[in-house]
Amino acid sequence: MTSLRIFFVGGLTSYRALFNWLTPWILIPSFLIAPLFQILLFAYIGRTTHLESDRFYVIGNALQYAAVPCLFAMGNTIGGERFQHTLPLVLTTPAGRLPLFIGRSVPVIANGFVVSGFALVTGSALLGVHVPISAVAPLVLVAAVTAFSCTGLGLCNAALGLRVRETAVTSNILFGFLLVFCGVNVPLSSLPAWMSTIAEGLPLTHGIAAARQLAGGAGLGKVAGLVGAELLIGCIYVVGGYALLRLMEIESRRRGTLEIA
Amino acid sequence: MAAIEAEKLRRTYRQTSGFVRRRTKTIEAVRGIDFEVNEGELFGLLGPNGAGKTTTIKMLVTLLIPTSGAARVLGHDVVHSARTVRRNIGYVFGGDRGAYERLSGLDNLRYFSELYGVPPKVQKRRIPELLELVGLMGREKERVEGYSRGMKQRLHIARGLLHDPPVVVLDEPTIGLDPVGARELRNTIAELAQAGKTVLLTTHYMYEADALCDRIAVIAEGEIVAEGTPTALKSVVADRTVVEIEAYGLPAGALERVRASPGVTSVSVEEREHVQLLLVQAPKGLELTQQLLGCLGDVRVGRVAAREPTLEDAYVSLVTGS
Repeated sequence: MTSLRIFFVGGLTSYRALFNWLTPWILIPSFLIAPLFQILLFAYIGRTTHLESDRFYVIGNALQYAAVPCLFAMGNTIGGERFQHTLPLVLTTPAGRLPLFIGRSVPVIANGFVVSGFALVTGSALLGVHVPISAVAPLVLVAAVTAFSCTGLGLCNAALGLRVRETAVTSNILFGFLLVFCGVNVPLSSLPAWMSTIAEGLPLTHGIAAARQLAGGAGLGKVAGLVGAELLIGCIYVVGGYALLRLMEIESRRRGTLEIA
Repeated sequence: MAAIEAEKLRRTYRQTSGFVRRRTKTIEAVRGIDFEVNEGELFGLLGPNGAGKTTTIKMLVTLLIPTSGAARVLGHDVVHSARTVRRNIGYVFGGDRGAYERLSGLDNLRYFSELYGVPPKVQKRRIPELLELVGLMGREKERVEGYSRGMKQRLHIARGLLHDPPVVVLDEPTIGLDPVGARELRNTIAELAQAGKTVLLTTHYMYEADALCDRIAVIAEGEIVAEGTPTALKSVVADRTVVEIEAYGLPAGALERVRASPGVTSVSVEEREHVQLLLVQAPKGLELTQQLLGCLGDVRVGRVAAREPTLEDAYVSLVTGS
């Protein structure tokens, strides 16, 4: 019961505690308007160069933009605590670390999902991309799974926050890494082999591929393998991120770097 | 059984500097200290900045792993039974930070109640009780960012008591508070001790330690240099007298001349706004005033007085080794 409350109630409260400074003036431009610029930029480059369809760019960039909340917000779950000097207080509570840290990821997943969903709908409307009605529900599922797997990577990023002073740097690097490697704007088949091999192990790659097929008229059954792979990769990152958090916590107690990394 | 035990507790830090040629320096923050705090006791850990007080506290509250030695809280090892220790200890540190500024005081307390596993029914009773105890009732729904420093500090105390811990560790809780706020907080600390809690308090305010603590350990450069009741510690300097001299602009070398003056056992200077207060310890019965004024030369002198030594004088004597 205690763990469940820490997971749900604690997770939501900590999200409010750490992100209450995000007013609509910051939220709307960052999460709702900025992804549209990215979508439009790549869609018009695509139109000019006649490389891929608008649908290709809308789906790739809309799903990839979930990485902004998933990476930055997860990083801030540690970085923000460090900034407010609340990290030592949280870590001196007996709260189980699994519900404590994983619980913080639930609102972040929802945040990433909303960002992707809004960008997908608005980007499609702006560029006149047609998505079959039958694909809407499966796309919602894929967007949720992709936000989950991205948050898994964000959890690894958060763990680094126990070692480095500023997670915004790693968040920016990871965001760019996903943009280049995951087939967001360049099909994996056009990337060098080593890059597409790395992409197979990254969040987003399989989710974006599944979403493109769904929007092209494929059924959920046909993309179940891709969705399953995205989910599995997300789970691996969540487990890896949690293990890294525990390791970094012990290491910071050993090295005395909890407040001064 | 002692509530808190430290046995040969030692902690070193490694500091690296330089980019190309990395240099590593090992700093001994705590050098194998031993002390015990009995159940229900209010124990003070006194020392100057950098003496090792906070490092000791961090080891006790499980934030740092000792380099060697051991520490136990209610018999539980702080390394091997960290979670049990955390359940039994309330940790409060001084200063502005340490609360979620954009949440209300009430939400801060609710959140930490969850982390301490306080059931919702108990929270409903406990949180108002604590708000009443620390004098924040009526302000609990306001965001913490609007609280005064004293209110934040009292909120910290309430947070540290949410799970009704038998042991409370207070690391310089009155630092930066105005005199009224500090007095109110000291009253709250005294109430904790009266309620049967074991309290470990670090401070460098002597009157605070003198007024509150049953026993005190003085720590300097990572070692405990004295331990006992405030009265026992004061007896270290009971055979001395303290001469206070207000000087307006001490000239270079004057302090060294005073220090070298026959009969002087210890000298310290308190910088005040336009004046330096020279505190000179000397054996009781020895008349030094004229000799000391001679050492100061032409400097303008204000008030000159001799008085009985206080705990602060004992502390100065202990940490300076004079």
